[in-house]
Amino acid sequence: MIMEKEFTLPSPGHSLTPSVSEAQASNETKPVSIKKTKRKEIMLAYACLAPSLLIFGLFLFYPLLKSVYLSLFLTDPQGRVAEFVGMDNFREILTSEMFYKSFGNTLLFILLTVPTGIAAAVLLAALTHNKLKGMKVFRFIFSLPMAVSVGTGSMIWMILYHPTLGVLNYFLSLVGTQPIQWLTDPKWAMISIALMTVWMNLGFNYILMLSGMQGVSEDIYDSTKIDGSGPFRTFFRITMPLISPTLFFTSVVSVIGAFQAFGQINILTKGGPMNSTNVMVFNIYQDAFVNFRFGIGSAQALILFAIILLLTVFQFKFVEKKVHYQ
Amino acid sequence: MKRFGKRSFTLLLLSCLMLISAACSNSPTTGETTAAAGSEPSKEPVKVVWWHSMSGELGTVADKLISDFNAAHEDIQVEGVFQGTYDESLNKLKASLGSNSGPTMIQVYEIGSRFMMDTKAIRPVQDFMDAEQYDISSLEPNIKNYYTFDDKLYSMPFNSSNPILYYNKDAFKAAGLDPENPPKTYEEVAEAAKALTKGNQAGASFAIYGWFMEQFLANQGVELLNNGNGRTSPATASQVNSPAGVKTLEWWKQMVDDKVLLNLGRKTDDTKKAFAAGQIAMTLDSTASLRGIVSAAEGKFEVGTGFLPKPADGGDGGVIIGGASLWLMNNKSEEEQQAAWEFMKYLAEPQTQAYWHVNTGYFPVTTKAYEEELVKENLEKYPQFQTAVDQLHQTTANLATQGAVMGVFPEARQLTETAIEEVLNGQKTPQEALDKAASEISSKIETYNKTVK
Repeated sequence: MIMEKEFTLPSPGHSLTPSVSEAQASNETKPVSIKKTKRKEIMLAYACLAPSLLIFGLFLFYPLLKSVYLSLFLTDPQGRVAEFVGMDNFREILTSEMFYKSFGNTLLFILLTVPTGIAAAVLLAALTHNKLKGMKVFRFIFSLPMAVSVGTGSMIWMILYHPTLGVLNYFLSLVGTQPIQWLTDPKWAMISIALMTVWMNLGFNYILMLSGMQGVSEDIYDSTKIDGSGPFRTFFRITMPLISPTLFFTSVVSVIGAFQAFGQINILTKGGPMNSTNVMVFNIYQDAFVNFRFGIGSAQALILFAIILLLTVFQFKFVEKKVHYQ
Repeated sequence: MKRFGKRSFTLLLLSCLMLISAACSNSPTTGETTAAAGSEPSKEPVKVVWWHSMSGELGTVADKLISDFNAAHEDIQVEGVFQGTYDESLNKLKASLGSNSGPTMIQVYEIGSRFMMDTKAIRPVQDFMDAEQYDISSLEPNIKNYYTFDDKLYSMPFNSSNPILYYNKDAFKAAGLDPENPPKTYEEVAEAAKALTKGNQAGASFAIYGWFMEQFLANQGVELLNNGNGRTSPATASQVNSPAGVKTLEWWKQMVDDKVLLNLGRKTDDTKKAFAAGQIAMTLDSTASLRGIVSAAEGKFEVGTGFLPKPADGGDGGVIIGGASLWLMNNKSEEEQQAAWEFMKYLAEPQTQAYWHVNTGYFPVTTKAYEEELVKENLEKYPQFQTAVDQLHQTTANLATQGAVMGVFPEARQLTETAIEEVLNGQKTPQEALDKAASEISSKIETYNKTVK
């Protein structure tokens, strides 16, 4: 597969080289006009790029540079730069218990939401993949959570999780078990948030998985049937490897998404109880926008950026090798 | 063709740039026009923008006050803007500082007072009071005390409340307790909670709310911060880990261990709902919730109110005045500030305060309001209000009950709440948890003091 890439990649280069040499050859005859056209083309290219560069610059690169700048300062209660402190903010973060706790919480959150979310989506997609009557209704239902915004979803789950009036505790009382303090017991809070998040992401993951499965050619299934492969074997040996690009994409997106989860935590627990759901993004929000300490908030945001970058590079370098591209 | 393409791209680029620069220069231009309009001697009414945090029923009452004022004043037009919770509103104000997009006046919760003074973006209302010899002798003394710093009233008190004990009289009867004699001490509350816990009903539940902790300390006459609660000079250390604090958490935790007190988390909304549903027999809440709680329980059970409990051997103290006050921003024209001051005076009038008190449960900030017929009638109809008024008037005035001041109050509350959670979940002893909270709060205060000069 790598060989293939190596073969295909140089091809545009090959086709370019003759044209360049041609241009050089004609350079001698009409040097001015060619140079002019070239410059024109470059100008055109930049003009085409300009709007997106401008927007990227304004909303991505400028804020990024600004947070690098802010991370080196203390800010006063109004958020204005007050004092240069160098690397003190980073030092404070890396020595604070809270940072490691929130990092641990984030990893736990990823662990609880990403594999379960993908597994649930694969299961549902596999169940609704075949063309039976009425399958469209199920597909519609399973992809429905995608239409629910984080705010709405959180409110729904807040009512479900309500300690004394919630439906979940009502069902538990029917079975005869003690009510669970879903959001206020530190042992349960993260699980409750994860459960809600898995549900929230299910719609999107499900659609991805289903489209991945739809992309697998029927011919392959036909030949496995002729070869006498059962449904489980077909699923694990044929379907799973063939949808591995989708699985890979979903896992990368889900991990990044989990790192950035904020809305449900802000609405359901505000990082509590005992900081058991205080993930990194929420910690940043609290430091920067509740306590107005932009310095430490920016420093934390940069650390988070580095972590996500490393993780994504890792995923592409190592995990992608296991992916089967057709 | 190509040349034309290039030119149109340049045009596009230019228009992009112009759009951006237009967007950036937008706010200063509007600022200039309003300033110009303000100095012109025209008959246009002066516009006053008031940011407040009164939502739901409270918001409706606030809107009524505004429209009444506007109807009575041709030359002033007050526009009330709901800006979310006190926290959210203050954050929006922080973001608007240094620009002209902020309000003329803003309602800020009591614990934001230090911060507001430190911004140096406000105009003390004392300036206006001195200028026209405004009589403040009728202002409720405790409320006046809270908002007085360096002998100056910086902001105009508007809505004030304090925490009281709510209890279910019917449950008290059923448990063989005297429904007219609510528990007053920690010990009595613990005993009553034991007697009240039956089947699906827990004895009590208190929301994990830093405000309660502040009140429990003040109720025993203990200061939350050093340097006279941050009032004699800026505070440098938290004293939340004082014996009074430890004792309070031990009492709270013991009731959780005895399974007579439910832990329903940080939201008073949840305890309120559980109380109205008859799932808990006692709870703590603000007096501002009284109307809501009484009407939610209507037809189900009778609601009683009692003083905030304190240990039997606790020192003299009382409740700190909670709620919010009105601050004037100093970046608006003199005329606009004057107009806002007119509105503040209107809000503090006995009739206005009587209406406000009766419809919300907040205290009247002026003692003259109690002479209003409306208030008298209301006290007859809802005798539960009397407890709140008595509790306020029986408070001993000292630095503890005057209330702590620090710039990092919202954070201090978060840290205190985490400490309470750690104790109730058995992760730390009260002493350990409060020691940790105190040292963290102290370090936040230290950083804050470093950035405010």
